[in-house]
Amino acid sequence: MAMSAARAGAEAEVRTRLPDVAALAAALDGVDYLADPGLATAMFLAVRLPQPLLLEGEPGVGKTEAAKALARALDTPLFRLQCFEGIDAAEALYEWNHPRQLLGIRLAEARGAALDEDDLFGPDYLLRRPLLQAIEHAGPRPAVLLLDEIDRADAEFEAFTFEVLAEAAVTVPELGTIRAAHPPIVVLTSNRTRDLHDALTRRCLYHWIDYPTPERVAEIVRRRVPGSEEPLAVAAATAVTRLRSLDLVKPPGIAEVIDWVAALGVLGLFELDAAAVEASWGSVLKNRDDHELARTRGAAWLAGA
Amino acid sequence: MPDLPAVAPGPLAVAFTTALHRAGLPVTPERAAGLTRALQLVPPVDRGALYWACRVSLVTDRAQLPVFDAVFSAVFDGLLDPADSRGDPTAPPSIGSEPRTGPSAADDRPAREGPAAASGVGTSSSGNGAEGEREVLLAAASAEERLHTTSFADLTAEELESVRHLVRRLVIGTPERSSRRTRPSRRAGARLDLRRTVRTAQRTGGDPVRLVHARRRTQPRRLVLLCDVSGSMEPYTRVYLTLLQGAVAGARAEAFVFATRLTRLTRQLAIRNADQALARAGATASDWAGGTRLAEGIGRFVADHGRRGLARGAVVVVLSDGWARDDPEDVAEAMRRLRRLAHRIVWVNPRKAAPGFAPLAGGMAAALPYCDALVSGHSLTALDEVVAAVREDILG
Repeated sequence: MAMSAARAGAEAEVRTRLPDVAALAAALDGVDYLADPGLATAMFLAVRLPQPLLLEGEPGVGKTEAAKALARALDTPLFRLQCFEGIDAAEALYEWNHPRQLLGIRLAEARGAALDEDDLFGPDYLLRRPLLQAIEHAGPRPAVLLLDEIDRADAEFEAFTFEVLAEAAVTVPELGTIRAAHPPIVVLTSNRTRDLHDALTRRCLYHWIDYPTPERVAEIVRRRVPGSEEPLAVAAATAVTRLRSLDLVKPPGIAEVIDWVAALGVLGLFELDAAAVEASWGSVLKNRDDHELARTRGAAWLAGA
Repeated sequence: MPDLPAVAPGPLAVAFTTALHRAGLPVTPERAAGLTRALQLVPPVDRGALYWACRVSLVTDRAQLPVFDAVFSAVFDGLLDPADSRGDPTAPPSIGSEPRTGPSAADDRPAREGPAAASGVGTSSSGNGAEGEREVLLAAASAEERLHTTSFADLTAEELESVRHLVRRLVIGTPERSSRRTRPSRRAGARLDLRRTVRTAQRTGGDPVRLVHARRRTQPRRLVLLCDVSGSMEPYTRVYLTLLQGAVAGARAEAFVFATRLTRLTRQLAIRNADQALARAGATASDWAGGTRLAEGIGRFVADHGRRGLARGAVVVVLSDGWARDDPEDVAEAMRRLRRLAHRIVWVNPRKAAPGFAPLAGGMAAALPYCDALVSGHSLTALDEVVAAVREDILG
C-alpha cells in the first residue's frame, strides 16, 4: 500500500508516548476528551498505522472534537480543512500570492533593483493551505490533519487529496518537491451525503461514533462547562436522552447539552425543574416543529418530574 | 480475562475475513492484512479489544454493522467465555438479532433471477394465459406503438423485456443551479476575477491590459429517486427499477426503495449491467412486495439522508401509488419535512392513468399538496412526462 511507504509505522517518539490503547485513552482523558474503547482503539490505530481514520456519526457526537483532542493529546498542531462543494487545490494545498508578487515587481521597479523570477516564486510568496501545512510540519511529532465533511467535496477532490496524502509529498513546480518529514495523522469526518469512493474507504480505518449513554454525556458536560454541578449535568443529559426518544427533526446532540447547562448556569438556575426548562427551551431545541412536539409533552415531562 | 485460544494474528485475520466475505461483506485481502497489523498493535486480550480492532479495520459503513456483529458473534463467541461480555455496552449483539445475511438469503427473490426467467415476475396475472388473444392485438397495432402506450401492468413478459431496454435508454436530466465554482468569461458585467487578472497581467509586465471576468458555473441539481416496491406496485416495479438504474448510472442519481423500510440502492445499481444491478439490489432490499409504509419510508429518508444534505436543493422523485398503511397525517408530516429540503418534488403514480382517477387514497391525498407535479408514468410514453417533470418542463 502506497501509504505504508509514506508513514512506515509511527515514529519512536510517538511509540513511546502511546504504547497501547490505554495510554491513548488516558492521554485523551487528560485533555478532557472521553473516548470509549471503540473510539480509542480506532484513534490508536490511526496514530500507529499509516492509515487515515474515517469517523462517522450523527451530528453533534464529537467527530471534529475527537480530532482536536487527539492533537492536544499528542501535543501537536491540528490543521483543519473544512471541505465544501467546489473546493479545489488552491484552497486545500497552496496558491501563489499574486497580488504580493505584483507588489514585489512594482517595488523592485521603483527602487531600480534587479528582480529574478526565482525571487518571485520563493517560499515567501507561497500561501500555504492546510494540506501543505500539515505536510510541512517540522515535528517533532506528526501533525493531525482533519479533513472535515469530506463528503461535501466532490469525488475528484477526494481522489486528489488521497494522492497527496499517499505520497506525503507536494510538488510545487517552481519550488520542487516538498516531502513530509513527519507524515500527518489523518482524520476524516463524513455525513454520507454521497457515497464515498471505494478507494477512500478501502484505505481508511472506519469508526461509527454512537450517541453516548446519559452518564457519559453528563461526565463530558461536567468537564466542558466550568463550574457545572454534577446533579444538573446528569439531569440535563437524561432530559436530552428523553428528548431523543421523540421523533425530532433535529435531535439534540452533546453540543446542545453543553450549551444548555451553560445557559442554565448563566440564568442562575441550578436545578432542572419545569420552570428552568420553560426558560431555556431554545438552548436544546432549534426547530419550531421540535419545539411544538416537545411542548405537547410538557416541560415537566422533560425535567423528569 | 478468558482463556483465549492462542491464535496468531495472521491466520485469525484470514479466517475471520473469509467468514465475513461469505456473509456478503466487501472484505478484501488488503483489509485482512490491515487487521493483522492492527492485531499486532492491539493484542486481543479480551473480547472488547478483539471486537474493536476487527471492527475498526474491517467495517467501512455503518450499514455493515449488523452483519459484522452477527458474524463476529458466530465466529468468536464459541471460543470466548460469554461471561466476559456480559453487561458490556460495547459488546456486539448475539447471533440472529438482525437476520441480514448476504446474497444467499435472496436466492428466491425475483430480482436475482436471469433476465428471461425474471421477466415473468409481476406479469404472471396478465401473462402467458392470454397469449393467443394478444397475438391478434399485436397484429392490429404496430408492436412499437403498443409498447409505448400500454400500461406496464398489461404487458407480457417479452414485451416488458423490450420496454426495459427502451427505458434503459431514457435520459433523465435535472434543472441546473449555479455552483460555487466559476469559469472565466469574456462578458463584462460579470464578476471581475482579480486573481486571474493579476496573473495574466504578469505576462504584460504587471499592467493589467486585459480584464478577466468570472461567471458562476452551473451544475445539474442532484436527483433522488424513492421507489415504492410494495405489493400494490409490483406490476411497475421492474420497469421503475430499470429507470432507477439508468438514472444512477447516467445522471448520478441517488436511489432508494421502500415498502416497510427504506433501503439505499445507489451502490447496488451503480454497475452498468442492468440485470446484475437489479440482482444486487434484490439481494439488498429484503421487503419486496410487502405492505407500504409511506410515512416511514419518506420520513426515514429525510431523517437519515435528506437532512444531511442529500435532499437539499435536489429534485426528489417519489414513485408510489400512495396506498399506504400509515396515518395520512404522518405522510403529510414527512412530506412537509421533505418539502423544506427539496427543490422540487415529482410524484409518479401509475394509477393516475386509470379513468376517473382522483388522488383520494389516504397517503396520496395527504402528500399531494407538497408535490410540484403528479404524473402517471405508467407506460413508456408516460415516462416521457416524468422526464419532463424532472426537467421542470411541465408544472402542476
